[in-house]
Amino acid sequence: MKYFLYQLKKHPLAIFGIAIIIFWLLAALFGPSLMQFTHTQIDSDFQMARPGEEGHLLGTDSLGRDILSRIIYGSRSILTVALLTSILSTIVGIILGFMAGYFGGKIDAVFLRGMDILMAIPPLVLSMVVLGILGNSTILSLTLIVSIAFIPATARVSRGVLLTEKSQEYVSAARIRGEHHLYIMFVEILPNTTGPIIVEATARFAYSIMMVASLGFLGVGLQPPTPDWGMMVIENKPIITQAPWAVLFPALAIASLVIAISIFSDFVSKVLIHEQ
Amino acid sequence: MNKTLLFILKKLGSLLATLVIMSFIIFMLVEIMPGDVAQMILGQSATPEAVSALREARGLNDPVLKRYGRWIAGVAVGDLGDSIYMQGVAINSILWRRVGHSIILALTAFIMFVPLSIFFGVLAGVKENKLSDSIISFFGLATMALPEFVSGVFLITIFAVQLKWFPIVSVIPIGESLFSNLNILILPALSITFVMFGYVSRMQRSSMIQVMNSDYIRAATLKGMPRSYVILRHALKNALLPTITIIGMNMGWLFGGLIVVETLFGFPGMGSLLMIAIKTRDVPLIEACVLLITVIFSLSTMTTDILYSFLNPRIRLQGGQR
Repeated sequence: MKYFLYQLKKHPLAIFGIAIIIFWLLAALFGPSLMQFTHTQIDSDFQMARPGEEGHLLGTDSLGRDILSRIIYGSRSILTVALLTSILSTIVGIILGFMAGYFGGKIDAVFLRGMDILMAIPPLVLSMVVLGILGNSTILSLTLIVSIAFIPATARVSRGVLLTEKSQEYVSAARIRGEHHLYIMFVEILPNTTGPIIVEATARFAYSIMMVASLGFLGVGLQPPTPDWGMMVIENKPIITQAPWAVLFPALAIASLVIAISIFSDFVSKVLIHEQ
Repeated sequence: MNKTLLFILKKLGSLLATLVIMSFIIFMLVEIMPGDVAQMILGQSATPEAVSALREARGLNDPVLKRYGRWIAGVAVGDLGDSIYMQGVAINSILWRRVGHSIILALTAFIMFVPLSIFFGVLAGVKENKLSDSIISFFGLATMALPEFVSGVFLITIFAVQLKWFPIVSVIPIGESLFSNLNILILPALSITFVMFGYVSRMQRSSMIQVMNSDYIRAATLKGMPRSYVILRHALKNALLPTITIIGMNMGWLFGGLIVVETLFGFPGMGSLLMIAIKTRDVPLIEACVLLITVIFSLSTMTTDILYSFLNPRIRLQGGQR
């Protein structure tokens, strides 16, 4: 931890990134209760109000809904889904990748074959088609489907990490002691692989935000009236000449969050890889 | 030569196997979609008798495997079936024009981002840790993370709304072709370029740094060769290898990007067609689009693999293990 703080001092950009992430986390937790307007309230007298007009700090959309409160409220769903997705896909990836790498042989061959098939469709296309077919996406279905689309990537990283650890002497020592395979995998090997796995998980978090935002934009994300950043962009695009703020502010919200997380994940990988 | 031929044949074989399995998965997925195809064709007001008659006529009551066999046999001879939403128009007659549009869009993006990102990646790598490197690296990190529609919206605001250089939507007027409307390609292609630039330039930078620190480059420099000669003739050749792989590996993102960008700009390509198919629950059209994307995507991955093993003789004999 001390080393982490020391590294942070050397990378001022990372502090900036972490600050933005913390801002959005706080906004998601406490923001909605501080808002003057609710996210669904329709102010029909002030459609497409300019930013700052009538207490609408970031203006309103074509229905007269407050952009600021919709953005603040929308931060909840995107952060929840992206966080759950990166955790779930990382955990399942570790389990599958470790099993395949540890046992090798036929299990590994079946695993690689399966991953090849799953990877034959680009992740965004896969999630979009499945979510579109299922219809009425919820936080649960979004999380599950996007995680499945991400598993080939996370599982391959975990498998690679395990293969480099497998030949270490402490592993053969544990085998000779007669430890259970599961014990060797998850109690002996796992703690030694946290570095690359954390790097992968933070990068995965940035991808998840990108993916969830894109799915919302394509209209297969969370359904209205829940505000979704990606959906706000596409539904206000027709009025971009009259009310550019209705499109630009949600886009800026996405941009600030993904760039902040990328800076953070870049920093984490620099620190953890440097450490080794 | 025999070995390489065998290698390519092996790849083709596993590609074919993947496609067969994938097509089955796609078919089964669409199966579970709520709603009845016959009901959809006839509309909500149709009598139950008419619906069941149509089900019988189209063979919808047959077992799943039989229907899959019929579909895949049609696909094998180039018949993709009829679209439901567009009132029974043959998919072949609408799909290929749009595929052509998407390919032109992808190529335009390709022509933009490949030289740009390689140039700036090499520049950043050669000037490691200098100011120009920091600027390029930060820009790459930022653009890599932005979804295409976010950079697209920024581009629209600047170049279409404020400067009015390009149209806000990329539609082709009825009766005209894409070639008489080339200006609609620029903003969508630029949006894709943004994301790709991040990935490719970062990869190019790190492989350049690695090569520049290697012994043979040091030897060439110590021999007194001019720096530009060392960079262009010796370093670049080897530093391009990982970049080619990363471009191939990112074809997946390029496809996702096409769908997003085509939806944002209303560009008449394959991605927006798939979007329409999903929104209107047009089963045969979804199947055709997804299968086609899978084929193109797998072919491009395979080509990357083969190209890589040709360019890098060290891995050629291992039979393409990754």
